[in-house]
Amino acid sequence: MATTTIARPAATTAPAAATPPAIAFRGIAKGYGGRTVLDGLDLSVAEGDFLVLYGPPAAGKTVLMRILMGLEQPAAGQVFLRGRDVTAVPAAARNIGYIPQSFALYPHYSVEENIAYPLKLAKVPRAEVGPIVRRAAEMLAITPLLNKRPEQLSGGQKQRVAIARGIAKRTGLYVFDDPLAGLDFKLREQLVDDLRTLQRETGATFVYTTSDPLEALTLADTVGVLDGGRVVEDGPPERLYRDPANARTLALLGFPRANLIEGTLTRRGDDLVCEAGPFAFAVAPAPGAAPNTGQVLVGLRPEDVALGDADSAAGPGWLAARARVLLREDLGGEEIVYLDCAGTPLTTVVRHAGHDEADTAGPAIGAAATVAARPTDLLVFAPGDGRRIGRGAASRATA
Amino acid sequence: MATSWRQHLYHLLLWLIALAFFAPVLWIFLGAFKTAGQLVSWPPRWVTFSPTFDNIREVFARENFWSYFRMSFVLSIGSVLIALVVSFLAAYCFSRYKPTGTNFLMFLLLSVRMVPAPAVVVPVFLMYTAFGWARTFTGMLLFYVMFSIPFSLWILKGFLDGVSLRYDETALVNGGSRLHVIFRVVLPQVKPGLVAAAIFNLIFVWNEFLFNYVLGGEATMIPVLLAVGVNSGGSVDWSFIASLSLIYTLPPIIAIFLFQKYLLVGMTFGTVRGEV
Repeated sequence: MATTTIARPAATTAPAAATPPAIAFRGIAKGYGGRTVLDGLDLSVAEGDFLVLYGPPAAGKTVLMRILMGLEQPAAGQVFLRGRDVTAVPAAARNIGYIPQSFALYPHYSVEENIAYPLKLAKVPRAEVGPIVRRAAEMLAITPLLNKRPEQLSGGQKQRVAIARGIAKRTGLYVFDDPLAGLDFKLREQLVDDLRTLQRETGATFVYTTSDPLEALTLADTVGVLDGGRVVEDGPPERLYRDPANARTLALLGFPRANLIEGTLTRRGDDLVCEAGPFAFAVAPAPGAAPNTGQVLVGLRPEDVALGDADSAAGPGWLAARARVLLREDLGGEEIVYLDCAGTPLTTVVRHAGHDEADTAGPAIGAAATVAARPTDLLVFAPGDGRRIGRGAASRATA
Repeated sequence: MATSWRQHLYHLLLWLIALAFFAPVLWIFLGAFKTAGQLVSWPPRWVTFSPTFDNIREVFARENFWSYFRMSFVLSIGSVLIALVVSFLAAYCFSRYKPTGTNFLMFLLLSVRMVPAPAVVVPVFLMYTAFGWARTFTGMLLFYVMFSIPFSLWILKGFLDGVSLRYDETALVNGGSRLHVIFRVVLPQVKPGLVAAAIFNLIFVWNEFLFNYVLGGEATMIPVLLAVGVNSGGSVDWSFIASLSLIYTLPPIIAIFLFQKYLLVGMTFGTVRGEV
């Protein structure tokens, strides 16, 4: 039985190798009043991909989306859609479903008319419009609102209507510019689920921006990390999280923020040895990287830092150090512990094993503690561009 | 209560002032229903007369009255409609594209209306004569279009600035043309501004006499009506003046009554929108 799909991608099955990327940015630059926002940005999005463009607030995500939509002109660079240079093509001719950050619902239309608006403009036959609108409304749980006017809706409801209007459009490419910002947690979770389902069902290409690292990690097929006017790194979220190629990726993607410790890389015979804060360890250079000795940045995820009482001993092969507990932040299911490791600040996460008080005890604020980390969890980055140059080697711990 | 009698006093004062200003209007309105003798009698008769509709009937019966009256409507409505189209499109341009010198242009346009009419009537007359536009209907219509544009533009720009650019963009990314944006997306949202501009200028144009008298002449017939009618048998025909005043004052009074809130918008150039 044919079900009503909201979106119909232009091409459903195409050979992967032959198809040009759905979107390609080449050397995009843009600034406002002397402030550079985008600085030679390159990014490709494959057909059918769910790309989440993640970046801190004011990183230029919205500007990039507006350039993609044709609402802004880049100062330099080109935008390609399916291999065609559309840099000079007006917004109306680009055929992209757009869910802007501001809702921009038409006050003179009802909710239903607002959702049907892109279909009306595309001259979709009236008989087909109804089911598409109803399906979109159902998905966003706004069916009871269809006859209302935007001014009668709450902020969250307006946002959902804006999303419904965006996905009602029939195209193969949708852009969501941080659409869930400000929605309550439960609705966000449900919408994240629905968006994933929608994307799988339609096979359309989704581009989604957010400044919430958890949203980026849960939604994306591919995450692009936008920082300093460029895409620092892009790839599958698991790889970016576990195996980042850039210090900025490690620092931005994840909560609590990853530890970045300044260190020194030295050469001892054939071996590279790194000393960073309390840790000293052998380094295995990254493939293709020829690390220079000298200043480096060492990254370590908080959950990879083991915390024990002052007298506890680290496992074999672990790097251990003494520390003092500065602050404990209880988040309910887990606790963030801020430590001072002989002058080096270090953050760790302690998960609560159960509801037993004893489990959560650990070293108290002000108490001495032992921290330990596996050398393979220590990532070594070049100080300038943040490129990864190596990782701690397992066997040769020189603690 | 103290506040209460003070309030009553204020209201009484306001009523007295309002009545003092309204008295001449009332006098002329009453005069329309008096005989010529009652109108000029001394002491004046405010209420002690038997109303007659003869004067009004006589005005209606005058040769060409209806065509003159219609011409007033045609000129006001025609010129204001044209002015609205021009100023709406200009306001869209000023509001969205912000061409260099927008503020100066806006000021220049308004300054046209700040100059007292008698100061420019002679230059305009000379210009009109040189162009061959004096004493033509089109010339008069165009003059009133020019007369109505500054205020309309100011009111509409105020309204358009209040319509977020995001609306335009949503239409554009969904494949809407610029004309679609202007007429289907933006226009419905500034309807109160259009009504305000229309009412405001309709009253202005309707009340305008000097330029019509100097530029229009016989072509627009309105002054002729006055010129021919005012004198009768060597003296001033006050009954005629009173009746004609009544007839010509009624349309703006009705319009003001019906569209009060829009007038406030007009007088503040769209900066105070209130409940509109």
